[in-house]
Amino acid sequence: MFIILSNSFFNKIAYLLENYYSIILYGLGITFLLSIVGTVGGFILSLSLTEIRLLKVDKKRDNRSVKMLKRSSLFVSNSYVTLMRGTPMIVQSMIIYYGIAGLKIFPWWNPLTAGLIIVTFNTTAYISEILRGGVESINVGQMEAGRTLGLTKRQTMRKIIWPQAIKNSLPAIGNEFVVNLKDTSVLSVISVVDLFFAVKQAAGKTYAYVEAFTIAAVIYLILTVSANFFIKHLERKVGQVQV
Amino acid sequence: MKKVLLLLSLFVLSFALIGCEQDTREELIVGMEADYAPFNWMEMKKTSEYATKISGQPGYADGYDVVIAKYIADNLNRKLVIKAIEWDGLIISLQNGDIDLIVAGMSPTSERALEVDFSTPYYLSENVIIVRIDSPYANATSINDFGEAKVIAQKDTIQDDDEIYEQLVGSIRQTPLESYAAITQSLLSGVSDAFLAEMPVAKAVTGSNDKLIYLTFEEGNGFDILEENLQIAVALRKGNTDLVDEINAIIATITNEQKEQWMLGALERQSN
Repeated sequence: MFIILSNSFFNKIAYLLENYYSIILYGLGITFLLSIVGTVGGFILSLSLTEIRLLKVDKKRDNRSVKMLKRSSLFVSNSYVTLMRGTPMIVQSMIIYYGIAGLKIFPWWNPLTAGLIIVTFNTTAYISEILRGGVESINVGQMEAGRTLGLTKRQTMRKIIWPQAIKNSLPAIGNEFVVNLKDTSVLSVISVVDLFFAVKQAAGKTYAYVEAFTIAAVIYLILTVSANFFIKHLERKVGQVQV
Repeated sequence: MKKVLLLLSLFVLSFALIGCEQDTREELIVGMEADYAPFNWMEMKKTSEYATKISGQPGYADGYDVVIAKYIADNLNRKLVIKAIEWDGLIISLQNGDIDLIVAGMSPTSERALEVDFSTPYYLSENVIIVRIDSPYANATSINDFGEAKVIAQKDTIQDDDEIYEQLVGSIRQTPLESYAAITQSLLSGVSDAFLAEMPVAKAVTGSNDKLIYLTFEEGNGFDILEENLQIAVALRKGNTDLVDEINAIIATITNEQKEQWMLGALERQSN
């Protein structure tokens, strides 16, 4: 605790900020890029993934091949979500990045592109779980009403169920963004120069690690607090037009 | 819209023009942490003739490893490219072919030798003890003679290590200090009795202070550390025997005095 209160602590923070601000800003940019791409990309991909996971096998009407197709898609998509949610992202990063790097099939494969893909794939699983809950929480009466009005099942889903499910899920999806801001720091294991990696490198010359990570903590806190503020705002807006 | 296009094309063109002046020699991609001073660390500016741009991120790498990597690349007539890679990722990146060499203050331990090949060492650290000429410890002939001595080391060096202090039976471990200039003062003023240091540091400190001397001990009386843990070598992909031979030949041309001078230079740049 004394180290934190000493004068040299603040001197070192000043030294780090003065000499290494450019790499810290660069790392901050990468952290932001990873979180935005991960959350937006994850949201888009999770729409199709959730659509698959919501498939229902109709025992009477579906013929055998349709049943087979539905069952295998359900199995694959559910396994994907279990796998992505059930293993830490740090482990996924090591396996995916070095596994694919070893195959040498993608010339564009580098820590950053790998990081973007890993965080997107990971977030897809989490948002898919949020959206599935969102769709299932919509009263069955809505579907019945849609069908009564002459809409097909697909039309009802697209025009009535999904918009409400997405709207209700927005705060939880925003929360995923906050989680991503912090959790993308694990991508530093594959040498992605995010905020965490940047401050660690900045500390390397002087071994001022406590000071450097204090800077990182403050920046992460500012990011998450402002993102939370934005989500609260979104929640209020969504609440106003609640049906 | 036209203006935007014009700006964009200018932007692309400027890159193309910069590209023209680039070094066209074959690349020698070297991996290091850029986070292990004094062997390698990161600077935001080109602070010395050795500092080399780190590929794919802002900043320059400097340190003893960078000096060695540059020397090797120059002698192979290849262009030095440095990648900053996490310690845990270095060996696997080498095996995957992302990098050609690891020059990262890595000791050629037998466990690592199962995965990669090592060159001959390009650095051998030697632990010595610096004392005042007029102190009772000046006549010490063994590390066992340091009972009750107040011992200090530089912060975050391999000398400031539990295993080393355990071997100095009975000594009093003092809080490590940041710079060896501060430790020298501590020694001279009598606050500390002995300073654990690396050989080049010891030579520099005693060279500028005639009141201080450094002690080395005979086999069996010194610190008991595995030789392979004191060595630092270049790691290469397994089976790359031609390159190993070439690099060994290059390392063989570096004299011990040159190594010490480079290490001392790195230590000086680090403490600036």
